[in-house]
Amino acid sequence: MADVAVARVGELPPGASRVVRSGRIEVGVFNVGGRYYALPNVCAHQFGPLCEGPVTGTLICTVETDWKLAWVREGSIVVCPWHSLEYDITTGRCLAYPGIKLRQYPVRVEGEQIIVSV
Amino acid sequence: MTGQPAAADTRTKLRDVLIVDVDVHIDDHPAALAPYCDMPWRRSLELQGTLPQRYLSAAGYSPQLGLDPPFPGGLNARHTSTAAQMREELDALSIDVGIVFPDHLMLMAQLPRADYAAALARAYNRWLLERWLTVEPSLYGALVAAPQDPEGAAREIERYASHPNVVAVYLPTSAVYPLWGHRKYDPIYAAAEAAGLPVMLHSVSAVFPAFPFNLEQFDTALARHTISHTFAMMANMISMVTTGVPVRFPRLKIAFTEAGISWVPFMMWRLDKEYNEMRREVPFLEDRPSRYVRQMYFATQPVEEPENPRHLTATIDVIGDDHVLFASDWPHHDFDHPRQVFDLPLPLETKRRIMGENALRLFNIPVPTRAKT
Repeated sequence: MADVAVARVGELPPGASRVVRSGRIEVGVFNVGGRYYALPNVCAHQFGPLCEGPVTGTLICTVETDWKLAWVREGSIVVCPWHSLEYDITTGRCLAYPGIKLRQYPVRVEGEQIIVSV
Repeated sequence: MTGQPAAADTRTKLRDVLIVDVDVHIDDHPAALAPYCDMPWRRSLELQGTLPQRYLSAAGYSPQLGLDPPFPGGLNARHTSTAAQMREELDALSIDVGIVFPDHLMLMAQLPRADYAAALARAYNRWLLERWLTVEPSLYGALVAAPQDPEGAAREIERYASHPNVVAVYLPTSAVYPLWGHRKYDPIYAAAEAAGLPVMLHSVSAVFPAFPFNLEQFDTALARHTISHTFAMMANMISMVTTGVPVRFPRLKIAFTEAGISWVPFMMWRLDKEYNEMRREVPFLEDRPSRYVRQMYFATQPVEEPENPRHLTATIDVIGDDHVLFASDWPHHDFDHPRQVFDLPLPLETKRRIMGENALRLFNIPVPTRAKT
């Protein structure tokens, strides 16, 4: 595994993301509510540049919401810019296909530097 | 390909295969077309060009009921506005050659004024040649034929047929009324057949009292989009076969786009079944309807993604791998990367046909010398 510098802490506020590269591997690093996460920049569908997509929320509609639409998880969903498949940044799970879970790369902070291990 | 498939190729790379994409879209913004439009409609486009545009929805230009709000977290619209931009984007997708279709004018069949619709088609065709086909030699185009003015469309075909990068005639299919089998369109077919240009049907979702109709009953774009393009293709294919278009114009090539391919075996078998009982209604058909369908061409996008890809290769086998054409639909939201088709478990010769060779033959395009970058 190689350590890759992502950004200074202040440069990646909650809701922000940044794609970094290590060799041929591209990884998206996200700040969700003050915690950092990293996913491969490759959608499991047609291999689109997932982490270049918008960070947003999503909609649910369950018995708990009385079968009404509710907007939830703002800032923790990334949407692939190619075909709009959604992923939970904090788990790597694809919302459309429960069997798909992307690998997660460890992210840490050393001093003021955010570092991802790729 | 017949019978059991030959060994699937897994070694050849996408970049090593010629890729012809039979459906890419260019941004026919009214402000872009205005300078190419005859008066008085140039004034109209100049005004239309100052109005805010939604994705494939502009009142009086690409009319839609526009039932859906911008959906929270929903689709993002992409546009390709110059030939250089298109070339760059196709390079990134490993595509060598693109066949260009409009964006907004896909909805033009709904426009009630024939003189306006014909002026839009003429403006588009001029703009297509001047800003796209003569700028980037790896782009080829389909002339827009306004269904509202078949004689005018036939003149457009005659005017541009000799241009080497004009390779097809686009039949706007969304909500066309009457359907494309009607005898009123014969001048278009006669001109296209004489010019050796295939006609290509391409629809788009719209709520309108014509095929694909009654879509307003669905409250999601998912539901409407599931059937809109496909129903439009099915309705027009049935119309063309049962009025005898392929019989009256035996050398006319007919291609269907943006409906996937899994509807085609259904149509072949369904039409044949009905033909058993009701042949006397269509005595001009000299054989079962599927024999005529088998002569038509089908673009892959949005290509089906079954859990077992062999189910899709079996579908290709029914249609015939010499009549299936790769299409991406770039830059639209539901485009397919060429890999989605290329990676199907098929022998290399079949992949080469579908990804490019069939299209070169159908559109009479010379093998491109330009290597993709």
